[in-house]
Amino acid sequence: MALNFYRRVAFGLSPNETEPSDPLDWALDQLNSVPDFLWPGSIPTEKEMRKKYGEWVYGDREVIRKKYKNDINAYEKAKEELRIKTGERFFELNEHAIRHYQTKNSQQPVFERFWLFWGNHFAISEKDFLAEFSTGPYQREIIRPNMVKTFEDMVQSVTTSWCMIHHLDNSQSVGPNSKSKQWNPRDTINENHARELLELHTVSPSAGYTQEDVIQLAYIMTGWSQKYTKKGLETGDVWFDQDRHQTGEKKVLGVKYKNDAKRELPRVIHDLATHPVCIKFVSTKLCRHFITDDPTEEMVRPVIDVWNKYDGNLIEIQKEVVRQAYKYRDLTYKFQVPEVWLMQLSKIFDLNIPLIPSRMNYDFKTKPSHSQRRLSWWLHEIGHSPYRPKQPNGWSDFEVDWVSPELLLRRLWFSSNILPKMIKSKNYNHDFTLECLKKNFDDYERMSLLIKNFNSDTKLKEESDMISKYGIICNLPGVLKA
Amino acid sequence: MNCTRRNFLIGASSTLFFSGFYPKISFANIEKKNLIIISLRGGMDGLTAVPVIGDKRLKKLRKQLILENTLKLNSDFALHPKLEIFHKLWEEDKAAFVHATNIPYTGRSHFDGQNLMETGAHTPYQEKTGWLGRGLLASEIIGKGLAISLPMPLLLRGVPQNNNFFPSPDYVQTKLIDAIHNEFSGDHNELIKSTLSTIKKRPLSMQIATNSQDRNNLAREAAKQLKDPNGPRVAVFELDGFDTHTAQGGNNGAHADELEEVNNIVKILYKNLGSSFDNTLILTLTEFGRTIKQNGGFGTEHGYGSAILMAGGLLKKSQVYTDWPGLKKKNLFEGRDLNSTIDARAVYNSAMSICFNKDPEFLKREVFWGDDLPDLTQDLFKI
Repeated sequence: MALNFYRRVAFGLSPNETEPSDPLDWALDQLNSVPDFLWPGSIPTEKEMRKKYGEWVYGDREVIRKKYKNDINAYEKAKEELRIKTGERFFELNEHAIRHYQTKNSQQPVFERFWLFWGNHFAISEKDFLAEFSTGPYQREIIRPNMVKTFEDMVQSVTTSWCMIHHLDNSQSVGPNSKSKQWNPRDTINENHARELLELHTVSPSAGYTQEDVIQLAYIMTGWSQKYTKKGLETGDVWFDQDRHQTGEKKVLGVKYKNDAKRELPRVIHDLATHPVCIKFVSTKLCRHFITDDPTEEMVRPVIDVWNKYDGNLIEIQKEVVRQAYKYRDLTYKFQVPEVWLMQLSKIFDLNIPLIPSRMNYDFKTKPSHSQRRLSWWLHEIGHSPYRPKQPNGWSDFEVDWVSPELLLRRLWFSSNILPKMIKSKNYNHDFTLECLKKNFDDYERMSLLIKNFNSDTKLKEESDMISKYGIICNLPGVLKA
Repeated sequence: MNCTRRNFLIGASSTLFFSGFYPKISFANIEKKNLIIISLRGGMDGLTAVPVIGDKRLKKLRKQLILENTLKLNSDFALHPKLEIFHKLWEEDKAAFVHATNIPYTGRSHFDGQNLMETGAHTPYQEKTGWLGRGLLASEIIGKGLAISLPMPLLLRGVPQNNNFFPSPDYVQTKLIDAIHNEFSGDHNELIKSTLSTIKKRPLSMQIATNSQDRNNLAREAAKQLKDPNGPRVAVFELDGFDTHTAQGGNNGAHADELEEVNNIVKILYKNLGSSFDNTLILTLTEFGRTIKQNGGFGTEHGYGSAILMAGGLLKKSQVYTDWPGLKKKNLFEGRDLNSTIDARAVYNSAMSICFNKDPEFLKREVFWGDDLPDLTQDLFKI
């Protein structure tokens, strides 16, 4: 028995699933292809959403700010109306529903767990209106298709994506010897994106790069920017603007890159994404996410070997991570971050989350309803609104960052005050709870004893009993951890 | 006002950039001292909070942002009318201001700026811990940080066992907490165990609190905890909304509303800390100031120099401590922003030195990589 494995690499087993005969094969088979999105409601494209982003920022920045400059109240009112009209209030809620529905219903939940991992490795932090319009589509259209390609492919796509370019200010980076600089002498390079490409996305500080390496990489990246138009503002496609590009030879981590315009970036990304330090850094991070906070050399080594053997093929890399997670399932534990914990509870107890797709339809005329907002609100309240990490390094994978008094209390609050209301009425009984526990937890007998005792101790009416029961179950050591 | 940069070294005569001897502190019978930081996210406009009196240039550039009925501090500076508690405390030598100051960050990104105001570093995202967390750790003060926010702010990170208070929409039954605590007693997980113990030890008022929207209640509770001799020694409040690109307003308006929030927190802390207020320092923290000139939307853009608002009984005296750079175009940073002539980190380092009873030189090395931060303890605080 090693039922925790189903939560370690996925979201547990739902009431209508039977336990796979071979857990490892079950998991490995899920990584060969990209599953389709199952959400029957609206799934807007990244391009459509950028247009919406443009309507919102143009309307605010260029129209109503000027129109109501003397009247803060009128401005706030017009701004609220614009928010509703452009979907600024709605699209993030819809993205959360798509994401949750997918992790819950996907036939390849292990793939979905890796999807969450990569989306967080190449995180888009809370900035401007990215969470409202762009981060979800970026996760769906940039991260996801690359999960069956190579790590290098993934870095190429991410680095030139509109969302990441905007997030890390690369449009504002202008080469000191570029044509643009002559026209606007105050323009200069912006190192932000170059630094994060090195530090967070590829080689990490342990590669020992210098400030000069960051500057040189920033030079290579100059010109990769959002096409700016008068009406769409910064929401145009990403292109390479030679006029902003720093010409001349560059040198990053000891490797020289000859002056070659837009072809410089793919070359340097190739070198970074296949750098031994990068491979070690990302392999370790994968093991940290799926095995334990402090993975040993013994756990990470096989992943590095597979990475080298298959030239960074992500299918093979992910499979090796799963093998290691299986191997160490009884020897290690992994604290589950709040969003994943919520997804697991939602699947294990077949909760009424997310809202049914037809009720997620939006008319762009009124504020989204309470029930449309609730999943996003819960995620916010448990401290893990997925598309709003505070910094570009994404959400932490370390337990220590998720254990504070309030963050633990929020989980108790969710599981006692909210979760019981999300149980389907047909499942509102003790036997159902026990069956779900039996399917997912090795020590279900002890768990059932505990809630039985709790039940008889309190002699309270059914609803209060449910509150106590789920409040306890969901926060037991073996549930917070997998 | 007609003053140039050099004749404006207020209050400090020759000690501004010159640190004298630091008296050895006796560690016997030291009363608990509290350090409270209020983060003002979005870029607080120092010239709205602590306007310079009679500067024609400022009036000319900010026609729609003029302040009336400001509260006079001295012959050169006044206070925004919403900051009335600071004015009251000023009369008692318990409020002071550092002006034309900022962290050494001249970019104008909120995200980079906020990261740097918390890490105290030079390069955004390079450091993963906050200066306050590192200061506590270096001073061996563990488990005494309280954040009034849900995630642990970066500012406090770097020291273990911090507490936070930001109640959920509804309270959690005590018996649930007890039951979980029992279940974890046999577990190997020390961190969760000790955190659950912290929760269990919370006073009833904290346990039954709901609604983190009620900022007044959060501040009252924080004051109560800080007053406790065994309670936290450091508290961090978070306020955002200072990014007023539009309709910033003068006496009323977006920036005034935010300043009122700051005033409110300080007022509640003052009222509820009682005599502990005398052993307390409250300092604000922001990522940058705002442009001198109003923009087309009658707001202001991201700038550079700003002000630190300070309150508490550990202040030396009421003063506007500044090396005023002036507002003439040639004095402005990049021709548009109030300059910063005092590294804000010197103020924070000195404040930690006072509240944590540590030599500022030691803290500077441990927390700020030995950066060139003058010791301001004697100028600003009671030693």
